[in-house]
Amino acid sequence: MAITTDLVVPVETTVPTRPRRSRTRRLMPYLLVAPAMLVLVVLLGLPILQNLVMSLQHFGLRELVRGGAVFVGLENYTTLLSDGTFWEVVLRTLVFTAANVVLVMVLSTAVALLLTHLRRAMRVAVMSSLVVVWAMPIIAATTVWQWLFQSRFGIVNALLVGIGLDQFDNYSWLANGSATFGLIVALIVWQSVPFAALTLYAGLTTVPDEIFEAARMDGAAGIRLFRTITFPVLRPMFGLITSLEVIWVFKAFTQIWAISEGGPNDATTTLPVYAYKVAQALHRYDLSGAISVLTVVMLTVLLLVYFRQTLRQEAD
Amino acid sequence: MRKSRTTSAVALGAIVAFGLTACSSSGGSGSSDDASSSGPTTIDVWLMKDSVTDAFLDEFVADFEADHPDIKADVQIQEWDGIGQKIVSAIASDEAPDVIEVGNTQVAQYAASGGLTDLSDKVEELGGEDWIPGLADPGKIGDAQYGIPYYAANRVVIYNKDLFTAAGITEAPADRDQWIADTTALNTGDVQGIYLPGQNWYALSGFIWDEGGDLAVQEGDEWKGTLDTPEALAGMDFYEQLQALGKGPKDSDEANPPQVDVFSAGTVAQIIATPGAAAKVVEANPALDGKLGFFPVPGKTSAEPGAVFTGGSDLVIPLSAANPDEGYEFVKALAGDEWQKKLATTMSYVPNKTTLAGVLDGDPGAAAMAKGATNGHGTPNSPNWAAVEADNPIKNYMTQVLTGADAGEAAATASEAITTALNAQS
Repeated sequence: MAITTDLVVPVETTVPTRPRRSRTRRLMPYLLVAPAMLVLVVLLGLPILQNLVMSLQHFGLRELVRGGAVFVGLENYTTLLSDGTFWEVVLRTLVFTAANVVLVMVLSTAVALLLTHLRRAMRVAVMSSLVVVWAMPIIAATTVWQWLFQSRFGIVNALLVGIGLDQFDNYSWLANGSATFGLIVALIVWQSVPFAALTLYAGLTTVPDEIFEAARMDGAAGIRLFRTITFPVLRPMFGLITSLEVIWVFKAFTQIWAISEGGPNDATTTLPVYAYKVAQALHRYDLSGAISVLTVVMLTVLLLVYFRQTLRQEAD
Repeated sequence: MRKSRTTSAVALGAIVAFGLTACSSSGGSGSSDDASSSGPTTIDVWLMKDSVTDAFLDEFVADFEADHPDIKADVQIQEWDGIGQKIVSAIASDEAPDVIEVGNTQVAQYAASGGLTDLSDKVEELGGEDWIPGLADPGKIGDAQYGIPYYAANRVVIYNKDLFTAAGITEAPADRDQWIADTTALNTGDVQGIYLPGQNWYALSGFIWDEGGDLAVQEGDEWKGTLDTPEALAGMDFYEQLQALGKGPKDSDEANPPQVDVFSAGTVAQIIATPGAAAKVVEANPALDGKLGFFPVPGKTSAEPGAVFTGGSDLVIPLSAANPDEGYEFVKALAGDEWQKKLATTMSYVPNKTTLAGVLDGDPGAAAMAKGATNGHGTPNSPNWAAVEADNPIKNYMTQVLTGADAGEAAATASEAITTALNAQS
């Protein structure tokens, strides 16, 4: 996520394109991004291509070790698409993504608005805590989370028992599908809110105070002020952050794997986890390749819908 | 806020590309450099955690290097957790370790993958006709021998003699009823009657076999998970009863936290483990030296000991090993009679040859193990069994039952997962 913010946000907000200069000046930007694109092609493009090829082959443990995979056309895809488990996983992934993104957006908007209303010292304190959360490595944060919810010695159970909820004595969070699902959603939301909140706050500070003043003079306040002024002005930024969060949540793997390995009973198996399990437990690298290809396709379609809409609005 | 179409399109591209790459994990590349061309050849050896004590390993390596001045052995101890993936990556790479220890339930899969060296022509030299079948058979495909038997072991109950004496228990329980009664008596105050984590599926397998059930059965070409049979459910029921007589966590296995460490604290009366664990306990807490006793897992009646899983390991040499010949020397030494005897007596393991079994006479741990071994069982005999263990539905099932889920339903779900994994085409 660090890369994402550094690179994408400036492109969106601060580069006004004004073409019709001399030829070299027009080519300059492309030359400047060429090295980065080259690295992308080598590090990302080639593996994706290889993955695509593998998804069209029969590729199991034997082929991995000895080579000699044969092409089987779209067989892996038909196998997957006719498999009920795959569709369950797709549905679960969509629910998982929706739950996370909605929570992240609502909470981060609230935090961003809160920040604009805080006085300096308090604002610095809140922002620092956000940055600390955001700077925490994913695995470290996940490990802390595991400790918090550990059944026998976890502090969460101790607190719950402490306030009189005795049924949480030695309660195993990870044995219950919905509890595990909720726990992972909470973790990912907690990890995602800082980035979204800080970016939104940055956006909010760019809106001139006069606009709000004028609106207040006209009697707008609270929700109405947000709906009629803040949100429309920052719509592109909301759109951008929502897209980034969709991508980030959709492909979340580390947290889920570290906490539950997709369990119990596949209750937290989303597409990336499913692809990993099919590859590593069943050694069906071909099916796993097909799953990841379909994941990318789905994500692209989801985002295309959003971007078409944005483009249309901009054209108006 | 008007922007050109191209800006948005580029932004989309950038978002998708960076978003997707930003958090993708990169495979670690921790291969150790091969030693320089001159001087001794360094071989990479992977042995499993807790299979031998550090002291035994040091002694063996020192002796091996003294006998083979041209070979230096770099032994790396691997964790069981996630080992399947590590070995697969290793044998598929160009620079596999020269020797790998693999569990006897997993060796068939690697042999079937075609990534291991066929050692059939060495069997005679290694004395293969005397190998114990529970280790030799899984390492074999047709007539080709890929896995060399390393050691076998089955689980027994290790108990703390002081705590037994304090509770007034003078002899080992002969059957389950007595075992439950004794354990209940032991389980008072700070003392745990037994430390049994919720996911010791080897122990559960034994209880299921005791009842006449199984983990999975083969019907024609199809496998079927059978945790939901009445027999298997009865096995789980007993597990639950026993598990409650201590403070074992319901949602983890014997490795997390290591039960040897828990037991070495001295407030746990019993654990279910291979006898070799006793050496590890004493290593962790020397005060317990001489205070540990053993008895076979009690059966339903005193007529027969409880069923146990026959575990163990094979040694394999990957096809892509850089120094297969030197690797073989290592295997030959470790699987040879001299060190097998030492290994068996140090670790209380069953040595890899039936002819060596005599060295265990007079070892109380081994004696208990040998009694239990008369009712030894294996996991379902399919190369796909490793796939079941890689994403083990049995552990999950156990945790669910222990935390109050409906046993029948949870068992049906787990059985289905086993069925799917065993019947998967590879």
